[in-house]
Order: sequence, then C-alpha cells, then structure tokens
Amino acid sequence: MEIMLSIDGLEKSFKDKKVLHNISFEVRKGEIMAILGPNGAGKSTTIRNIMGIMYPDAGSITFHNYKGNEIPRHKIGYLPEERGLYKNVKVMDILLYLADLKDYPLDKAKERILMYLKKFDLEGKEKVSIEELSKGMGQKVQFIGSILHEPELLILDEPFSGLDPVSQELFKEEIRSLADQGTAILLSSHQMNLVEEMCDRLFMIQKGHKVIYGTLDEVKTEYANFKCTINGRNQLQDLEAIADVERVEQHDNSATLYLSKNVNPSKWLRSLPEHLVINELKMNRVSLHEIFIDIATGKNLLQEAGASDA
Amino acid sequence: MRNSRKVAKWEIKRNMKNKSYLIGLFLTPLLMILGFTLPGLFSSDDDNSELTQVYIHDELNLYTDIESIVEEVGFNWQLSKTDLSEEEAAAAALEDSENTAYLFLNEQVLTDGVVPVYTSEEIDVAFMNEVQFLTTPLQTLQLEQLGLSVEQLAMVSNGVVFEEISTEESEAETGEAGLETASPEEFLERIVPGAFAGIIFISIVFTGMAIFQSASQEKKDKIAEIILSSITPTELMQGKIIGYFILGLIQVAVLLVFLVPLVIWKFDMPIMEYLLVPETLLLSVVALLGYLLFAAIFVGIGATMSDMTTAGNFQGFVMMLPFLPFAFIGPVIGNPSGLIAQIGTYIPFSSPGVMILRLSMLEEWPWIEIIIGLAILLISIWLCMKLAGKIFKVGILMYGKNASPAEIWKWIRA
Repeated sequence: MEIMLSIDGLEKSFKDKKVLHNISFEVRKGEIMAILGPNGAGKSTTIRNIMGIMYPDAGSITFHNYKGNEIPRHKIGYLPEERGLYKNVKVMDILLYLADLKDYPLDKAKERILMYLKKFDLEGKEKVSIEELSKGMGQKVQFIGSILHEPELLILDEPFSGLDPVSQELFKEEIRSLADQGTAILLSSHQMNLVEEMCDRLFMIQKGHKVIYGTLDEVKTEYANFKCTINGRNQLQDLEAIADVERVEQHDNSATLYLSKNVNPSKWLRSLPEHLVINELKMNRVSLHEIFIDIATGKNLLQEAGASDA
Repeated sequence: MRNSRKVAKWEIKRNMKNKSYLIGLFLTPLLMILGFTLPGLFSSDDDNSELTQVYIHDELNLYTDIESIVEEVGFNWQLSKTDLSEEEAAAAALEDSENTAYLFLNEQVLTDGVVPVYTSEEIDVAFMNEVQFLTTPLQTLQLEQLGLSVEQLAMVSNGVVFEEISTEESEAETGEAGLETASPEEFLERIVPGAFAGIIFISIVFTGMAIFQSASQEKKDKIAEIILSSITPTELMQGKIIGYFILGLIQVAVLLVFLVPLVIWKFDMPIMEYLLVPETLLLSVVALLGYLLFAAIFVGIGATMSDMTTAGNFQGFVMMLPFLPFAFIGPVIGNPSGLIAQIGTYIPFSSPGVMILRLSMLEEWPWIEIIIGLAILLISIWLCMKLAGKIFKVGILMYGKNASPAEIWKWIRA
C-alpha cells in the first residue's frame, strides 16, 4: 500500500523534559493507523508536530506525493483533541468557513455539509447557532468540518471521547468507510476496545517511547498471550503449578491464568490436572485493553513477554 | 495573503452578523449625536417654553416697529396686541400660565420714560434684558415729542441709536454669515482634518480592542487548532488585524454618515472643503499607523489570555497603552511645540494621538519632528508585529491558562 506519511526519529522536549523519544511510524493509503497510549504518553504532541502546530526538535515528517517543505494543509483533515468552535455562529457558516480555508469549492461544500448533517442526525440544524448544540452535536459538526474537503490524510485526535455509544458507532462506520475509499487515517485513542475493532495497524506509546508497533494481528500474536479464566474454587498453588502459567489472578471463585507465549492451547488444556474444579472455562487472548492497562499501570506484562521472547 | 483575506472576511462577516457589534456600530454615532444635540435639545426645549407671549397695549402706534425689531434680533416672542387695562393685565399675568408679559405703551411712557411691564411668575430670565431693545423706538418717539428739529432729532437719535444698531447688526451677521474674522476660519481649516483623523484613530483603536477579544475568544473556544490546521498563525494574525481594521473603517463610515450632516446642519460650515485637503491624508496615515501598532499589541496580548476577566496586571497595563495620549492632551494644548509635546511625539504609544493633536493645532508643521516621530512609529510597528507574531503563535494554542510575563518573554526569545 502506498505510504502517505512517514514519521522518522521524532524528538521533542518541553523545557528540560523530553516528551518524545525517537518516534517513527508511517501511515498508508486506505488504512486506519492508531496511536494508542495512556494520558500524557505523547499522542497529541506527536499529532501536533505532524500538523505543524509544534515543531519537533529532531526527526523528520514527510508527506509523500507532495513537493516542497510546506505541510499540504489542504489535503489533510484534522480533528484536534481540544474541541471547540466559534460559539455565536451558525453551523453552516462555520463549516463553509472551514471549507473555504481549505480552498474547497463552496457549492460542493454546501452539498456535502447537508449530506453529512443528515448522516449524523443533524438534519435541519444548519441554521442553528453552535452554542445551542449539545457537546456531542458540536463534536459531530467538528468531525464534519475535518472531513468536508475530502482529505487524503485524516488525523483524528481522540475522535471518540465524549461520544455516546450510538454516535461512537456512527463515527466508527464513517471512519471505516473513508478508509475504504482510500483515505489514510491516523487516529489516537485510549479507548482500546474501539480501536481493536477498527484499526489496521497500531502504534502504542508510553512516556514518549514506542512500546508496540505493527498490524493488529501481529501485535496480538506477538504480545497478546493466551489467558484462561476458570470459574471454580481452586487452590492458588495448584493453579500456579500448572505448566506454562506465568501469573495467576484470583478473585473469589474465579481465577485468571496468564499463559506464557508460544503455548499451544489444546495441548495446554489437555495438561490440566484432573482434580481442578471447573464450573466454567474460558480461553482467549489478552485483549489490547489489558495490554494497555498493564502498560499504563506499569505492570509491564509486555516486558515480561518481551523478556521471555528474547 | 489569500488566507489572511479569508480570515479577514470571516471576522467581518461574523461581526456584521453579531447583534452586539451592530448595536455598538450604531450606538456610537448615536451617542455622539446625542452628545452634540442634547445640550442643544435642552436649550431649544427651553426656547419652546421660553416662547414668551408678549401682549402690547399700544397707544403710541409702535407695534410694527417693535415687531420688526423682534424679528430682526430674533427674540423668541409671540407678539400680540391687547386692549386690556393695566389692572386687568396684572391680574391676567398672575393667573396666566408661564412666560407671558404685558407691555403698556402710552403717553405716560413718553413723559416718565418708564414702561410698565407685567410678567407672569415664570418668565425667561433674559426677557427683561431683551425688552431693553425696545428703548430705541421709544426714545425716538420721546425726542420727537420734545419738538426737536429734524436735524437735531437725527443727530440725537443717531447718537443713541448708533451703538444699538451696531450690536444688532453684528448679532444678525453672526446668525447669517458666520464669523468673518480670518483666524477662526484658519483654525477650523486645521482642526477639521485633525478631528477627522482623531475620529478615525479612536474608532479603529476601539474596534481594534475587539481584536484582543477575538484572539482570546479564539483560545477560549479552542478553535485555534482547527484553524491552524488550515493556515499558518501569521496568516491568522494578519487576517484578524486586517479584518478589524475594516470593521473600524465601517465604524468610521457609519459615524461620518451620521456626523457630517449633523455638523453641517449645526455649525453651518463647509466641512467637506476643509476635509478634502492633503493634511487629512497625512493625519489619516498617522491614525492608520496608530491602529497597526495597537492592533499588533492587542492581538499578541489577546493570545496570552484565556479570558478577559482573568487579565493580570501585565495585560491590564498593556490594555491601557492606547490611553497614553490622554496624559499629553493638557500640556500639548497648552504648548503644541513644547518639550512635552515633543516627547509625546517620540513615544510610539502616544505618538499617533499626540501627533494628530499637535498637527491640528500648529500652523507651521515641524516636519523634522514629524518625520522622526513617524520613523519611530514605523519601527515600533514592525517590532510589535514581530513580537506579536511570536507570542500569538504559541499563546493561541495554550489553553486554559494565562501566560505569565516570564513565559511571554521566553516565547519572544525563542
């Protein structure tokens, strides 16, 4: 797939604190690339550097297909983390202004605005003043503003935060369909479940460092080991004694066994001792969400995984 | 530049659709007109109530003479004849409403030289003075009665009448043709371009203060980042400065549309003639430079503040800068080419105001001082724009808190 944007060796410091360390990734045409990480990991800083709102101390940001050093602003759609629109103007006016700033033909923009307003359940709101809209509606308007000019690269900073599940679903569908139409999409989020459902590749960042980078499947096979949840009262030492168990978390009658990498699930199941009380058994991979929480809380499951990998 | 134009257009459109701006736009000239006419209104109100009913019991056939005098001098009198006797008149005057007077012109007047005047309790204070104008025809009649020869009469009455006519004439002329003396006209010639530039300056500086609002609002609404994903901070800043400059000009235009006819009507002077002179151009340029200076300062400061209400001392101080010229008004009017006036010309923040004031007062323009002042102003503008650009770039994206002077200094050095 064609590469739209490459980030190479990005470094950034605020005062004396380095907030980005050697960040490198790329975004390709027609894919959804997610930057994941806990609050303060450096997601927004990375994005702001891409958008030219901040300037990196080192490293390069390359927009392919474009000549010159200028950021091709007209081909990029951007939804910042900080949400806001002019308060006392009409929905249509502000969207047309945003389209105009992108040099998008206004008559076409008008058509698309009406189409999107309808799509996002805001039909008939074009003459309503922004301040009369709810927060979610405002966010939809802003999202429309970022995709109105048919960008080739769409950068969304926390697009789902503050949305209700119905709107989240709407956004997800729209983002997916834009990617299918060939838009390169870079989004940041800390809502793993949503990202897990939709992204093609991901870049996980913690304290300005790269933690994981790869396709969703790669990441899952690489990092998301199997875990087995058993409902039933068992002795902790019995569980820990089972082969390939790295860690056990026990709550009341249920225990979660984290298995080591490269375990063969069916073999492992057969190896379970007969005296275990099993009312219910569930086996699946550690979700992105769990990896994320582990990183954020510093449990460093990954490093263990990494260490056993090495 | 294209993007700056778009921003400017947007700012204009946004304000023109904003009710509070529109109200302000028309309220300013309205207030000015009120300021002009209100005192006049009050006095003309007085005039109306002052319309003094003057009843004349005329036994000397002087009614037409009095009528012509009243008309000539322009007393606000409503003359009418009456046949009431003095007693009746006295009673009527007391009972009667306001501003009524009864004059009794009979033979006795000629012998005693005293005209009985009965007035209502409320009467215009000027009435008793005004009534003195009627002595002329009475005296003439008196002299005639004394049996003087025509020559004597002419001589005596000339002597008496001379002064009175001369006052009448000059009064009449003031009303009709305006001041004929040369110096006030020259003064007007100078003051009109100055006043014009002053109006421009004040209007656009005040509208320029809206830049500050707009910049800090941009921060507060957190939209800056979206806008900056399409254009550069410099373009945004330029667009705002241009946009508000045009809004200021719109204010000036609205002001002039209301004000010029008013001034022409009120003072009856050929204002356009005084206005369309080269001096106006230079003074307008000074006003424009003043605007650019303050616009740069305001847009920069606005970007450091998340909210008008949380302005720190530093920001508050900067906001006061446009008012600096007011400190110079007294000394400059006292001595337009004095040391203080010169200092005011060389301080960039007071320079536009002081220069406009001085140039409208001075007959000979101190060209060297003007050029030095303009040069200082231009350099300051360039510097302020540069600094504002740096501050704006960082400040506009700093959400939720005001920048401290130390931080601002750091941005400037960056």
